[in-house]
Amino acid sequence: TLTSTLTSTTRRQHALQRTAPEETVTSSFGRFIQGVQPSHLSPKVIQRSKRMVTTEVFDLALQHCQHMYAPDDISFVYGRNGTKLSPTLAAFVNGVAVHSMDFDDTWHPATHPSGAVLPALLAISDMLPKNSKPRGVDLLLAFNVGIEIQGRLLRFSNEARNIPKRFHPPTVVGTMGSAAACARLLSLDPTQCSNALAIAASLSGAPMANAATQSKPLHIGNASRLGLEAALLASRGLEASPLILDAVPGVAGFSAFYEDYAPQPLPSPEEVEMHSFLLEEQDMAFKRFPAHLGMHWVADAAATVHKALMDLPIRSISPNMVQDILLRVPHSKYINRPYPESEHQARHSFQFNACTALLDGEVTVQSFQNEAVLRPELYELLSRVRVEHPQDNPANFNRMYAEVEVTLVSGDVFRGRCDTFYGHWRNPLSEESLKKKFRNNAGAVLTPDRVDALVQAVDELEYLDDCTPLLTPLQ
Amino acid sequence: MLRKSVTESFGAAVSSLNAAHLTDGVIRRSKRMMLDTLGVGLLGTSSPVFNVVLQHGKMYQSKENSSVWGRPGTFLPPYYAAFVNGVAVHSMDFDDTWHPATHPSGAVLPALLALAETLHSKPSGLELLLAFNVGLEVQGRLLRFSKQAHNIPKRFHPPAVVGVMGSAAATAKLLGLSPAQSMAAMAIACSSAGAPMANAATQTKPLHLGNAARRGLEASQLALLGLEGNKQILDLESGFGVFYQDYIPQHLAEVTPNGHYRWVLEDQDIAIKRFPAHLGMHWVADAAVKVRTQILTEDPNADLRQIKRITLRVPSSRYIDRPIPDTEHQARHSFQFNCCSALLDGEVTVDSFSSKMMNRKSLRELLHKVHLENPEDNPASFEKMYCEIMVEMARGETHTARCNTFYGHWRKPLSQEHLVRKFKTNASTVLTSGAADGIVQIIENLEKIPDCSVLGSYMQFHKHVTQREQSYYSASV
Repeated sequence: TLTSTLTSTTRRQHALQRTAPEETVTSSFGRFIQGVQPSHLSPKVIQRSKRMVTTEVFDLALQHCQHMYAPDDISFVYGRNGTKLSPTLAAFVNGVAVHSMDFDDTWHPATHPSGAVLPALLAISDMLPKNSKPRGVDLLLAFNVGIEIQGRLLRFSNEARNIPKRFHPPTVVGTMGSAAACARLLSLDPTQCSNALAIAASLSGAPMANAATQSKPLHIGNASRLGLEAALLASRGLEASPLILDAVPGVAGFSAFYEDYAPQPLPSPEEVEMHSFLLEEQDMAFKRFPAHLGMHWVADAAATVHKALMDLPIRSISPNMVQDILLRVPHSKYINRPYPESEHQARHSFQFNACTALLDGEVTVQSFQNEAVLRPELYELLSRVRVEHPQDNPANFNRMYAEVEVTLVSGDVFRGRCDTFYGHWRNPLSEESLKKKFRNNAGAVLTPDRVDALVQAVDELEYLDDCTPLLTPLQ
Repeated sequence: MLRKSVTESFGAAVSSLNAAHLTDGVIRRSKRMMLDTLGVGLLGTSSPVFNVVLQHGKMYQSKENSSVWGRPGTFLPPYYAAFVNGVAVHSMDFDDTWHPATHPSGAVLPALLALAETLHSKPSGLELLLAFNVGLEVQGRLLRFSKQAHNIPKRFHPPAVVGVMGSAAATAKLLGLSPAQSMAAMAIACSSAGAPMANAATQTKPLHLGNAARRGLEASQLALLGLEGNKQILDLESGFGVFYQDYIPQHLAEVTPNGHYRWVLEDQDIAIKRFPAHLGMHWVADAAVKVRTQILTEDPNADLRQIKRITLRVPSSRYIDRPIPDTEHQARHSFQFNCCSALLDGEVTVDSFSSKMMNRKSLRELLHKVHLENPEDNPASFEKMYCEIMVEMARGETHTARCNTFYGHWRKPLSQEHLVRKFKTNASTVLTSGAADGIVQIIENLEKIPDCSVLGSYMQFHKHVTQREQSYYSASV
């Protein structure tokens, strides 16, 4: 009912507006960001985007900001009672936290959309005075603008559909998404929105080589804060290229990050009956354990083998039983690591996750702690792993599969295959599973009443007159 | 013994190079670069873009203490001071240019000075000089890893690619990071590299330098706290290689404490601009002035508005081909504009880009008469390009002139006198003449200065703010 009332009002308003003059792709984005309204959010989009709000905590970046920049009483750091930083640094630190364990959501085409957007929006919300906090629906809308922009940009390149090789996608589209979301929440005009995107483009792009290192979480942290900065600079009048998203021969704009680039303008919200958000058509994957998405196929496949082995009279798995472990996975160098040496590398290792799931029946947060990583039985299993890259197994999160084939010393062969792991967008986590994940994570840092308060605040988000109930428990 | 990776060789070099390795040639050249950079930075503090980013940076006041150039009593955390001062340096495209193409000093000097001011034990002038050269050296070496880098860029703006790496290396040096930490600083900085060319010729371009300076500094600070990145960041195609289509990294030479080190700056000098515009404009301006002289020699009363047609033969480069520029930023990136300004006035100056001069009827009319040609033998490379101008007068006679090497190019460097004059002209728009002279003296004797952070104080000696007011500002901070 709330939505339908808003819809009829805005439809009348839109009828009064004239169509824009000659449109570039860039200006179409600017107009969309400014023009889209809460009424454009469908129930499905609302439901899906609320599922994407999650929290986690982390340390080093916080320390950095506290050492380097004396605190400014503005924006809060997740889970650190009373710790405040300037808005961009809060966005940075919280963004790092979100991606610190590679536990955050993943979309198709591949990126981690929420971590780039949510911390910046919360930082802005903290920044605004007590009686001018955004409504829940404003926050939800800005969040969806940030996600939508990312999805649209990813569709400008075929290259983007595959597991990335060059630039880490959150640093390419994430920064842009954050800029768009912040521009929306700050109510910038269409030109300022376009400029925010263009300024953000000059802050985008980090190489894949830093994935599987301790620096990877900074990719999301930076995306969040730099997008926020871009929006703030645009709000002060800074101008940048008005053709940043358009394809201009001889001068690269956003196209610099792709080999093939074919941009499309966004339909103006007034032109279409109901703007169709990509999140409506393409759901989100949520991870069940903190590792690269590809690990989830391998873990599920290995878990079925574990179960089969546990059904044997012996009811245990010992490396001595195992002769050979064959993994059939897509070809992707940065997640093919026979002997990972750090927790970050372990989160990006087909071999590690397969062997862990074989031994334990599952992969969990604890699987990446030192004692688990350094287990001798694990190392023994790792030494028996071979990897194959079948032709029909593309490096693409929408089409890949994983097969685990274990040959025992006795000669018996056990095979497990996973086409769609539980949590993938084709097989989404249930509300119950998602909330359980949230409670496990948040409960590690917040008191139970705050955890409950957060669950409730997100549940009711579109009805909150003031998003403070979401902000307070996070502090 | 295992062969070190390219990345490791960089980490080792950054950490191990010491003052004894600085040669006279390198010292002399780098001091010229420092002086020029400070001057253009001061001039740049009067630009609108500088104002925007300063307001932005001031949002985050804190107890940190790094000087904002040209603003007495204004201090920011070093990260933001590096940012705004870096923006000032590139705000008018007046800063130095190297080959392969980048603007090396603006990414490094602001970060170093901002950092120096906050260190408990202030670095000496010699330490500053060393760190500065480490920052240049890393940039020069990285640029040589790609043939593509030798040409005028099309995709990523080089200061955003190598500049942040240079800043990370330079600040790592000043902080005394170990080889492993220096490597980490560069790996972290790499995730901050890269900005597209499309933002050149816009108000955002200066931010490319400002961002390079601040994010390189941040990378070093994070490395000092123990953050790590990919230890093979410079070796991998998926590392620093992502910014180039052809990427072949090379090891840096081993650095021995007392041995000789061959710096890139030794072999390859820098270009210093005579007016605030893209480097390509300097060929055009010099050729245009030659043609103008020819025309006026033949007929001292010649009316330049009687020009019928101007043919400009220049390399093909989309982002500096602008027939009718609308903004000052576009004008600085327009072959056509700089040609016409030089033809009309006999020179291009800071003032040529003011609204008044840009909107002159005579200039706008002349712009319509310009035709661009891109001859096959005129490559888009600052090392090899030329500019030829052919002017056809109303009565049919033509005049042609060509510039292969403009005055200020590395093949024909500015004299020391002209360099100092450029600095003083720029600096005196903001500082007292005493302060300007003081900076010239400090740079000249940099190796002997015990505390280089005094430069920061000099950079705030504003000519319109009296001494008394200045002490008030510093006391209140």
